[in-house]
Amino acid sequence: MENQKFYYDNKTVKLFLLATIIWGVVAVLVGVLIACQLAFPAFNFGLEYTTFGRMRPLHTNAVIFAFVGNAIFAGVYYSLQKLLKARLFSDVLSKIHFWGWQLIIVLAAVTFTLGISTSKEYAELEWPIDILLTVVWVIFGWNMIGTILKRRVQHIYAAIWWYLATFLGVALLHVVNSFELPISLIKSYPIYAGAQDAVVQWWYGHNAVAFFLTTPFLGLMYYYLPKAANRPIYSYRLSIIHFWSLIFLYMWAGPHHLLYQALPEWVQALGVTFSIMLIAPSWGGMINGLLTLRGAWDKVRDSAVLKFFVVAVTAYGMSTFEGPMMSLRNVNQMTHFTDWTIAHTHIAGMAWNGGMTFGMLYWLLPRIFRTKLYSEKLANTHFWIATLSILVYAIPLYWSAVTQWLMLREYTPEGFLAYPNFLETLTQILPMYTLRIISGIMFLTGFLIMVYNLFKTMAAGSVEANEAAEAPALVLAGKRKPLNETIHRWMERKTVRFSIWVFVALFIGGAIQIIPMIFIKSNIPTIDTVTPYTPLELEGRDVYVKEGCYTCHSQVIRPFRWETDRYGDYSKIGEFVYDHPFLWGSRRTGPDLARAGYVNGPMYKNSAWHYNHFMDPQKMNEQSIMPRYDWFAKKDVNLDMTPNKIRAMQTLGVPYPEGFDEQAVDDLLWQANQIVAELKLSGIEIEPTKEMVAMIAYMHKLGRDIEPNTNQNLDSHDTGE
Amino acid sequence: MTLVSSLLESMTGIHIFYVVGLLIFITLFIVIFIRTMRRPAAEMNEYKESIFNDKDPDGSERS
Repeated sequence: MENQKFYYDNKTVKLFLLATIIWGVVAVLVGVLIACQLAFPAFNFGLEYTTFGRMRPLHTNAVIFAFVGNAIFAGVYYSLQKLLKARLFSDVLSKIHFWGWQLIIVLAAVTFTLGISTSKEYAELEWPIDILLTVVWVIFGWNMIGTILKRRVQHIYAAIWWYLATFLGVALLHVVNSFELPISLIKSYPIYAGAQDAVVQWWYGHNAVAFFLTTPFLGLMYYYLPKAANRPIYSYRLSIIHFWSLIFLYMWAGPHHLLYQALPEWVQALGVTFSIMLIAPSWGGMINGLLTLRGAWDKVRDSAVLKFFVVAVTAYGMSTFEGPMMSLRNVNQMTHFTDWTIAHTHIAGMAWNGGMTFGMLYWLLPRIFRTKLYSEKLANTHFWIATLSILVYAIPLYWSAVTQWLMLREYTPEGFLAYPNFLETLTQILPMYTLRIISGIMFLTGFLIMVYNLFKTMAAGSVEANEAAEAPALVLAGKRKPLNETIHRWMERKTVRFSIWVFVALFIGGAIQIIPMIFIKSNIPTIDTVTPYTPLELEGRDVYVKEGCYTCHSQVIRPFRWETDRYGDYSKIGEFVYDHPFLWGSRRTGPDLARAGYVNGPMYKNSAWHYNHFMDPQKMNEQSIMPRYDWFAKKDVNLDMTPNKIRAMQTLGVPYPEGFDEQAVDDLLWQANQIVAELKLSGIEIEPTKEMVAMIAYMHKLGRDIEPNTNQNLDSHDTGE
Repeated sequence: MTLVSSLLESMTGIHIFYVVGLLIFITLFIVIFIRTMRRPAAEMNEYKESIFNDKDPDGSERS
């Protein structure tokens, strides 16, 4: 058959490669900054825009969506064209995809810095950017599927299955997790509440790891590792089995992020069971990757590309063993809320995603620029610095996790907590945080060496934007031929059918945990004494969300003696039914606040204490690493928005009485004046409309609803219940 | 939605959902495993090698 001439689009690949490098530097730099903030609070710079609570989402989103995201698109678009012998479907779509994605990243950086956030981890973007993200993601899928449809080869290679699963998985996760009710251009509330919101969020959070940080990289591994090693993947059969097993199982495992928390038992059991099962397909991928190098290990000695790939695949295997182990309840009680999880995610992020990306950059960029890598020696130097930095990161944080956990659960012979002050446990692990800074600087140094090496490489070459190629046209195979074609082989050449089956595999796991949580009321037993937030408390809660307080403080107490003695009664599902969003957190850099308003509990502090603590935490606790929030005393709550917020809550099912929105501001001022009067007794003058007053009201609401005789203890103000 | 809610509320044994999930997985896994293992080796090799069916810009060829 006569060959058809066509041109590969290298320009789009080049743009995504450059974006990967540039955003990667930014992401790691912000990572180093927040590492410094955790060891030395002075690095918060006393500015509201640079506090840890706002910078932490910036770091995670920059790493995931900016650095890793651009790397995925570069790797996918290059390999997709080569594997399918076709140019990308549309130059226009490619352009919109690239510039749209960069716009999302810039908007994310600006909004997080300004404190515009939904508080849902890795999904902090507010609704207009969510919509933009949906549009750009659909354009990516359209461009990819369009390219597959106009391919010149019959078979769709395994790497592309992973790309399709990525597109479908992220689309499903993003849409379901982003159902929210806007009240302004920069503020919305999720439609889910409390435990429901938690299940949906961690279904998303866990699977963002799966379908943004794992499946696309497995696809990249299936292309770039064999290409770099110049030998085919070890087992194509294994690739089929581990593909279907992994995409099916991953979607079920989200609830392992919520063990011992206020969640029905069956959801937790489901999460644990499927997490353990995930080891098998994950290791299928690792084994397939490492055994591809059988007989070629001598090449690893000299090639920085292969070195990065080997470390990446090995780290993938380690992380996917460690993750299921962390899902075991007895292990999880230690790893959750401590630095163990942070170490775990960074081994995966720095070694698996970082390693695959660095290896791909060193392999791909010289090819795109039609030259040789400027310096293999510098690439090897980068490899050793990066690998060492991962160890310097992880080992101290594992140490920190075990140390803090042992201290938190230590009792004296008399039966009292040995370290009742949370800060004692934090002070003990601060040296580990200093080591983390060193690790971050090392990783950044390696990164900058790579940037120099790659820019010198680019300077020595030039991109052929439209690379000429030729291949025979695709002969349509028509219907399935049962005698010589298995179902899977038939499906592999039918993009749409293949995608539908992938979607079904993805959908089952999510549906089985989310639909019952939302529709079956018995899963969320209500508590009569739990009342909606007053307008002032609601405003305080929004400030809590804006400042990212959830990045350091949890609001859920697990049923362990050492937690209930320290923080108060364990959390119940019914306490959170009016929480849009839930704010349980995932790491306790500070103490849990679920019972901060429980007057007779161990966590209660009066209004004056909160005022002084927000103004200068180190004045109240010299060893505290919390940034100061003195602008709370200067900034006003926007009272124009308060009625809108009440109406939004009513729409979401919060039982405020009819017409309460019109009384909301008066109600807010009434409660605020009570707090102002209380502060005045301590010699503190403040206006009732300041954010400080709202935050104090919110702190005093936490956990108060289920405290016996609460109404006699506090200025409980009827919200119409 | 009320209809869906009522329907789901009438369901008993919600706690066995994960067992159902396990059964779905095991069934599918066995089917996929057997069918995959029965696929001819020549076909598998053809797919594995297909990614080398191009010429890199630097001119390197599959060894």
